[in-house]
Amino acid sequence: MNGLLAGTLILTAIAGMGVVFSPQTIYSALSLVLTVGLLAVTFLILNAQFLFAVQLIVYAGAVMVLFVFIIALLDPASEERPRLTDPRFVLGILAIAGICAAVFVASRNGVTYVTSCTDQSAACMHGALVGAASDPYNTFGFPAAAVNQAGNVQTVANQLFHTYVLPFEVTSLVLLVAAIGAVYLTRQTRGAAPPPAGGARPEPGGAPQELPEERVEEELVAGGTR
Amino acid sequence: MLSQSMFPWILLTAGFLFTLGALGVLIRRNPLVVFMSIELMLNAANLALVGYSSFLSSEEGQVFAFMVIIVAAAEVVVGLALMTRVFRIGRELDVDDLDEMSR
Repeated sequence: MNGLLAGTLILTAIAGMGVVFSPQTIYSALSLVLTVGLLAVTFLILNAQFLFAVQLIVYAGAVMVLFVFIIALLDPASEERPRLTDPRFVLGILAIAGICAAVFVASRNGVTYVTSCTDQSAACMHGALVGAASDPYNTFGFPAAAVNQAGNVQTVANQLFHTYVLPFEVTSLVLLVAAIGAVYLTRQTRGAAPPPAGGARPEPGGAPQELPEERVEEELVAGGTR
Repeated sequence: MLSQSMFPWILLTAGFLFTLGALGVLIRRNPLVVFMSIELMLNAANLALVGYSSFLSSEEGQVFAFMVIIVAAAEVVVGLALMTRVFRIGRELDVDDLDEMSR
Protein backbone atom coordinates (compact mmCIF):
# COMPACT_ATOMS: atom_id res chain seq x y z
CA MET A 1 0.00 0.00 0.00
CA ASN A 2 2.84 2.38 0.81
CA GLY A 3 4.66 1.48 -2.38
CA LEU A 4 1.46 1.96 -4.37
CA LEU A 5 0.95 5.41 -2.87
CA ALA A 6 4.59 6.38 -3.49
CA GLY A 7 4.45 5.23 -7.11
CA THR A 8 1.20 7.08 -7.71
CA LEU A 9 2.59 10.29 -6.22
CA ILE A 10 5.76 10.09 -8.35
CA LEU A 11 3.74 9.45 -11.52
CA THR A 12 1.43 12.35 -10.61
CA ALA A 13 4.41 14.70 -10.34
CA ILE A 14 5.78 13.53 -13.71
CA ALA A 15 2.38 13.94 -15.40
CA GLY A 16 2.05 17.41 -13.87
CA MET A 17 5.37 18.39 -15.43
CA GLY A 18 3.97 17.18 -18.75
CA VAL A 19 1.07 19.66 -18.43
CA VAL A 20 3.36 22.67 -18.07
CA PHE A 21 6.27 21.74 -20.32
CA SER A 22 4.54 20.19 -23.35
CA PRO A 23 4.92 22.34 -26.48
CA GLN A 24 1.62 21.14 -27.98
CA THR A 25 -1.64 22.07 -26.28
CA ILE A 26 -3.21 18.67 -26.83
CA TYR A 27 -0.26 16.97 -25.10
CA SER A 28 -0.83 19.29 -22.13
CA ALA A 29 -4.48 18.27 -22.05
CA LEU A 30 -3.68 14.56 -22.19
CA SER A 31 -1.08 14.99 -19.43
CA LEU A 32 -3.74 16.72 -17.36
CA VAL A 33 -6.08 13.75 -17.94
CA LEU A 34 -3.30 11.49 -16.65
CA THR A 35 -2.68 13.75 -13.64
CA VAL A 36 -6.37 13.85 -12.74
CA GLY A 37 -6.72 10.07 -13.07
CA LEU A 38 -3.66 9.44 -10.90
CA LEU A 39 -5.01 11.86 -8.29
CA ALA A 40 -8.27 9.89 -8.33
CA VAL A 41 -6.24 6.73 -7.62
CA THR A 42 -4.53 8.60 -4.77
CA PHE A 43 -7.93 9.52 -3.34
CA LEU A 44 -8.92 5.86 -3.49
CA ILE A 45 -5.75 4.83 -1.64
CA LEU A 46 -6.49 7.50 0.98
CA ASN A 47 -9.97 6.01 1.59
CA ALA A 48 -11.89 8.85 -0.07
CA GLN A 49 -14.06 6.71 -2.32
CA PHE A 50 -16.71 9.40 -2.89
CA LEU A 51 -14.14 11.92 -4.09
CA PHE A 52 -12.58 9.23 -6.30
CA ALA A 53 -15.87 8.88 -8.16
CA VAL A 54 -16.50 12.64 -8.25
CA GLN A 55 -12.98 13.30 -9.52
CA LEU A 56 -13.34 10.80 -12.34
CA ILE A 57 -16.83 11.92 -13.37
CA VAL A 58 -16.33 15.69 -13.12
CA TYR A 59 -12.70 16.07 -14.18
CA ALA A 60 -11.91 13.17 -16.49
CA GLY A 61 -15.50 12.92 -17.73
CA ALA A 62 -16.66 16.50 -18.11
CA VAL A 63 -13.89 19.09 -17.74
CA MET A 64 -11.28 17.32 -19.83
CA VAL A 65 -13.74 16.46 -22.59
CA LEU A 66 -14.61 20.17 -22.69
CA PHE A 67 -10.93 21.05 -22.90
CA VAL A 68 -10.27 18.60 -25.73
CA PHE A 69 -13.31 19.82 -27.67
CA ILE A 70 -12.20 23.43 -27.34
CA ILE A 71 -8.68 22.50 -28.48
CA ALA A 72 -10.15 20.70 -31.50
CA LEU A 73 -12.37 23.71 -32.27
CA LEU A 74 -9.81 26.49 -31.83
CA ASP A 75 -6.72 24.60 -33.05
CA PRO A 76 -4.18 26.75 -31.18
CA ALA A 77 -0.70 26.90 -32.64
CA SER A 78 2.18 25.63 -30.57
CA GLU A 79 4.03 28.51 -28.97
CA GLU A 80 7.70 29.14 -29.33
CA ARG A 81 10.04 28.59 -26.41
CA PRO A 82 10.51 31.55 -24.06
CA ARG A 83 13.85 33.32 -24.33
CA LEU A 84 15.88 32.81 -21.18
CA THR A 85 17.10 36.41 -21.21
CA ASP A 86 13.62 37.87 -21.24
CA PRO A 87 13.28 39.87 -17.98
CA ARG A 88 9.66 38.75 -17.62
CA PHE A 89 10.76 35.11 -17.82
CA VAL A 90 13.44 35.70 -15.17
CA LEU A 91 10.87 37.47 -12.95
CA GLY A 92 8.50 34.52 -13.35
CA ILE A 93 11.21 32.04 -12.36
CA LEU A 94 12.08 34.15 -9.28
CA ALA A 95 8.41 34.34 -8.28
CA ILE A 96 8.14 30.59 -8.66
CA ALA A 97 11.16 30.08 -6.43
CA GLY A 98 9.47 32.20 -3.75
CA ILE A 99 6.17 30.32 -4.05
CA CYS A 100 8.04 27.00 -3.96
CA ALA A 101 9.90 27.94 -0.77
CA ALA A 102 6.70 29.20 0.89
CA VAL A 103 4.73 26.06 0.00
CA PHE A 104 7.44 23.68 1.18
CA VAL A 105 7.96 25.58 4.45
CA ALA A 106 4.20 25.55 5.01
CA SER A 107 3.95 21.81 4.37
CA ARG A 108 6.88 21.19 6.75
CA ASN A 109 5.07 23.21 9.41
CA GLY A 110 1.91 21.19 8.83
CA VAL A 111 3.75 17.93 9.33
CA THR A 112 5.62 19.01 12.45
CA TYR A 113 2.46 20.43 13.97
CA VAL A 114 0.72 17.09 13.77
CA THR A 115 3.55 14.71 14.58
CA SER A 116 4.96 16.72 17.51
CA CYS A 117 1.57 16.80 19.19
CA THR A 118 1.47 13.81 21.48
CA ASP A 119 -0.24 15.00 24.66
CA GLN A 120 -4.00 14.91 25.12
CA SER A 121 -4.60 18.63 25.73
CA ALA A 122 -7.33 20.52 23.90
CA ALA A 123 -4.78 22.38 21.78
CA CYS A 124 -3.54 19.01 20.54
CA MET A 125 -6.99 17.69 19.71
CA HIS A 126 -6.02 16.65 16.21
CA GLY A 127 -2.86 14.98 17.48
CA ALA A 128 -5.00 13.00 19.89
CA LEU A 129 -7.25 11.99 17.00
CA VAL A 130 -4.26 10.57 15.19
CA GLY A 131 -3.32 8.55 18.23
CA ALA A 132 0.28 7.65 18.98
CA ALA A 133 1.58 10.22 16.56
CA SER A 134 5.21 9.85 17.61
CA ASP A 135 5.30 6.31 16.27
CA PRO A 136 6.56 6.70 12.65
CA TYR A 137 5.00 3.39 11.60
CA ASN A 138 1.58 4.15 12.98
CA THR A 139 -1.06 3.73 10.29
CA PHE A 140 -3.43 6.42 9.18
CA GLY A 141 -6.60 6.60 7.20
CA PHE A 142 -10.10 6.12 8.47
CA PRO A 143 -10.61 3.43 11.09
CA ALA A 144 -11.79 0.29 9.38
CA ALA A 145 -14.56 -0.22 11.93
CA ALA A 146 -16.04 3.22 11.33
CA VAL A 147 -15.83 2.86 7.54
CA ASN A 148 -17.46 -0.56 7.66
CA GLN A 149 -20.17 0.71 9.95
CA ALA A 150 -21.12 3.84 8.02
CA GLY A 151 -19.19 4.01 4.75
CA ASN A 152 -17.34 6.91 3.19
CA VAL A 153 -20.26 8.19 1.10
CA GLN A 154 -22.58 8.17 4.09
CA THR A 155 -20.16 9.96 6.39
CA VAL A 156 -19.36 12.62 3.75
CA ALA A 157 -23.07 13.07 3.04
CA ASN A 158 -23.70 13.45 6.75
CA GLN A 159 -21.28 16.37 6.84
CA LEU A 160 -22.48 17.76 3.53
CA PHE A 161 -26.19 17.82 4.31
CA HIS A 162 -26.01 18.76 7.98
CA THR A 163 -23.00 20.89 8.84
CA TYR A 164 -22.29 22.35 5.41
CA VAL A 165 -25.77 22.42 3.90
CA LEU A 166 -25.70 26.19 3.21
CA PRO A 167 -22.42 26.14 1.21
CA PHE A 168 -23.72 23.09 -0.61
CA GLU A 169 -26.85 24.95 -1.67
CA VAL A 170 -24.82 28.02 -2.66
CA THR A 171 -22.83 25.85 -5.08
CA SER A 172 -26.03 25.31 -7.06
CA LEU A 173 -26.19 29.09 -7.51
CA VAL A 174 -22.55 29.10 -8.62
CA LEU A 175 -23.25 26.44 -11.24
CA LEU A 176 -26.38 28.26 -12.43
CA VAL A 177 -24.52 31.55 -12.88
CA ALA A 178 -21.69 29.72 -14.69
CA ALA A 179 -24.13 28.05 -17.08
CA ILE A 180 -25.94 31.33 -17.82
CA GLY A 181 -22.62 33.08 -18.33
CA ALA A 182 -21.40 30.45 -20.74
CA VAL A 183 -24.60 30.62 -22.78
CA TYR A 184 -24.42 34.42 -22.85
CA LEU A 185 -20.78 34.45 -23.93
CA THR A 186 -21.10 31.87 -26.71
CA ARG A 187 -24.53 32.72 -28.09
CA GLN A 188 -24.99 33.36 -31.80
CA THR A 189 -25.94 36.93 -32.59
CA ARG A 190 -28.27 37.15 -35.58
CA GLY A 191 -28.20 40.30 -37.67
CA ALA A 192 -26.06 43.00 -36.11
CA ALA A 193 -22.53 41.97 -35.24
CA PRO A 194 -21.65 42.27 -31.55
CA PRO A 195 -19.53 45.28 -30.62
CA PRO A 196 -15.85 44.39 -30.27
CA ALA A 197 -14.72 43.87 -26.71
CA GLY A 198 -13.45 47.14 -25.25
CA GLY A 199 -14.24 49.02 -28.43
CA ALA A 200 -10.72 50.44 -28.64
CA ARG A 201 -9.75 48.82 -31.91
CA PRO A 202 -12.15 48.12 -34.77
CA GLU A 203 -12.02 44.51 -35.86
CA PRO A 204 -11.04 43.72 -39.46
CA GLY A 205 -14.51 43.23 -40.92
CA GLY A 206 -17.15 40.68 -40.12
CA ALA A 207 -15.52 37.80 -41.93
CA PRO A 208 -13.61 36.35 -38.96
CA GLN A 209 -16.81 36.19 -36.92
CA GLU A 210 -18.41 33.72 -39.28
CA LEU A 211 -15.25 31.77 -40.00
CA PRO A 212 -15.18 29.13 -37.22
CA GLU A 213 -18.77 27.92 -37.66
CA GLU A 214 -18.48 27.73 -41.44
CA ARG A 215 -15.22 25.84 -41.23
CA VAL A 216 -16.66 23.34 -38.78
CA GLU A 217 -19.73 22.85 -40.96
CA GLU A 218 -17.61 22.31 -44.04
CA GLU A 219 -15.50 19.77 -42.21
CA LEU A 220 -18.62 18.00 -40.98
CA VAL A 221 -20.07 17.88 -44.48
CA ALA A 222 -16.77 16.69 -45.92
CA GLY A 223 -16.52 14.00 -43.28
CA GLY A 224 -20.09 12.87 -43.84
CA THR A 225 -19.81 12.51 -47.62
CA ARG A 226 -16.52 10.67 -47.50
CA MET B 1 -2.80 0.14 5.78
CA LEU B 2 -0.79 3.23 5.02
CA SER B 3 2.21 4.10 7.09
CA GLN B 4 2.08 7.50 8.73
CA SER B 5 5.51 8.32 7.37
CA MET B 6 3.91 8.62 3.91
CA PHE B 7 1.95 11.72 4.89
CA PRO B 8 4.77 14.28 4.34
CA TRP B 9 5.21 12.96 0.81
CA ILE B 10 1.57 13.64 0.06
CA LEU B 11 2.01 17.22 1.20
CA LEU B 12 5.26 17.58 -0.74
CA THR B 13 3.61 16.26 -3.91
CA ALA B 14 0.75 18.71 -3.41
CA GLY B 15 3.26 21.54 -3.02
CA PHE B 16 5.15 20.41 -6.11
CA LEU B 17 1.96 20.27 -8.19
CA PHE B 18 0.91 23.71 -6.95
CA THR B 19 4.31 25.14 -7.84
CA LEU B 20 4.12 23.57 -11.29
CA GLY B 21 0.70 25.13 -11.82
CA ALA B 22 1.93 28.57 -10.77
CA LEU B 23 4.92 28.18 -13.10
CA GLY B 24 2.60 27.31 -15.98
CA VAL B 25 0.41 30.35 -15.30
CA LEU B 26 3.46 32.63 -15.31
CA ILE B 27 5.52 31.34 -18.24
CA ARG B 28 2.98 29.88 -20.71
CA ARG B 29 1.21 32.21 -23.13
CA ASN B 30 -1.54 29.98 -24.49
CA PRO B 31 -4.65 30.73 -22.39
CA LEU B 32 -5.76 27.08 -22.67
CA VAL B 33 -2.54 25.92 -21.03
CA VAL B 34 -2.90 28.67 -18.43
CA PHE B 35 -6.34 27.28 -17.58
CA MET B 36 -4.93 23.76 -17.34
CA SER B 37 -2.26 25.07 -14.97
CA ILE B 38 -4.98 26.61 -12.81
CA GLU B 39 -6.69 23.20 -12.77
CA LEU B 40 -3.36 21.72 -11.66
CA MET B 41 -3.21 24.14 -8.73
CA LEU B 42 -6.79 23.35 -7.70
CA ASN B 43 -6.02 19.63 -7.86
CA ALA B 44 -2.94 20.14 -5.69
CA ALA B 45 -5.11 21.85 -3.08
CA ASN B 46 -7.54 18.92 -3.30
CA LEU B 47 -4.72 16.45 -2.73
CA ALA B 48 -3.61 18.33 0.39
CA LEU B 49 -7.20 18.53 1.66
CA VAL B 50 -7.85 14.82 1.17
CA GLY B 51 -4.46 13.90 2.62
CA TYR B 52 -5.15 15.90 5.77
CA SER B 53 -8.68 14.52 5.90
CA SER B 54 -7.38 10.97 5.81
CA PHE B 55 -4.53 11.75 8.21
CA LEU B 56 -6.81 13.37 10.81
CA SER B 57 -9.70 10.90 10.31
CA SER B 58 -12.08 13.78 9.58
CA GLU B 59 -14.45 14.06 6.64
CA GLU B 60 -14.44 17.85 6.51
CA GLY B 61 -11.45 17.99 4.19
CA GLN B 62 -13.31 15.82 1.70
CA VAL B 63 -16.33 18.14 1.86
CA PHE B 64 -14.11 21.13 1.08
CA ALA B 65 -12.41 19.24 -1.74
CA PHE B 66 -15.89 18.57 -3.16
CA MET B 67 -16.62 22.31 -3.09
CA VAL B 68 -13.30 23.01 -4.81
CA ILE B 69 -14.19 20.57 -7.59
CA ILE B 70 -17.53 22.30 -8.15
CA VAL B 71 -15.94 25.75 -8.31
CA ALA B 72 -13.26 24.43 -10.69
CA ALA B 73 -15.92 23.04 -13.04
CA ALA B 74 -17.78 26.38 -13.06
CA GLU B 75 -14.53 28.26 -13.68
CA VAL B 76 -13.63 26.03 -16.63
CA VAL B 77 -17.05 26.54 -18.23
CA VAL B 78 -16.85 30.33 -18.06
CA GLY B 79 -13.18 30.44 -19.07
CA LEU B 80 -13.57 28.25 -22.14
CA ALA B 81 -16.65 30.25 -23.19
CA LEU B 82 -14.52 33.40 -22.95
CA MET B 83 -11.85 31.77 -25.09
CA THR B 84 -14.29 30.80 -27.84
CA ARG B 85 -15.57 34.39 -27.75
CA VAL B 86 -12.04 35.76 -28.14
CA PHE B 87 -11.43 33.37 -31.02
CA ARG B 88 -14.71 34.32 -32.67
CA ILE B 89 -13.86 38.01 -32.85
CA GLY B 90 -10.72 37.03 -34.73
CA ARG B 91 -8.01 37.48 -32.13
CA GLU B 92 -4.93 35.37 -31.65
CA LEU B 93 -5.03 33.09 -28.60
CA ASP B 94 -2.07 34.62 -26.75
CA VAL B 95 -2.28 36.17 -23.31
CA ASP B 96 0.34 38.77 -24.25
CA ASP B 97 -1.82 40.05 -27.13
CA LEU B 98 -5.11 40.27 -25.22
CA ASP B 99 -4.56 43.72 -23.71
CA GLU B 100 -7.69 45.70 -24.66
CA MET B 101 -8.63 46.34 -21.03
CA SER B 102 -5.26 47.91 -20.24
CA ARG B 103 -5.47 50.57 -22.95
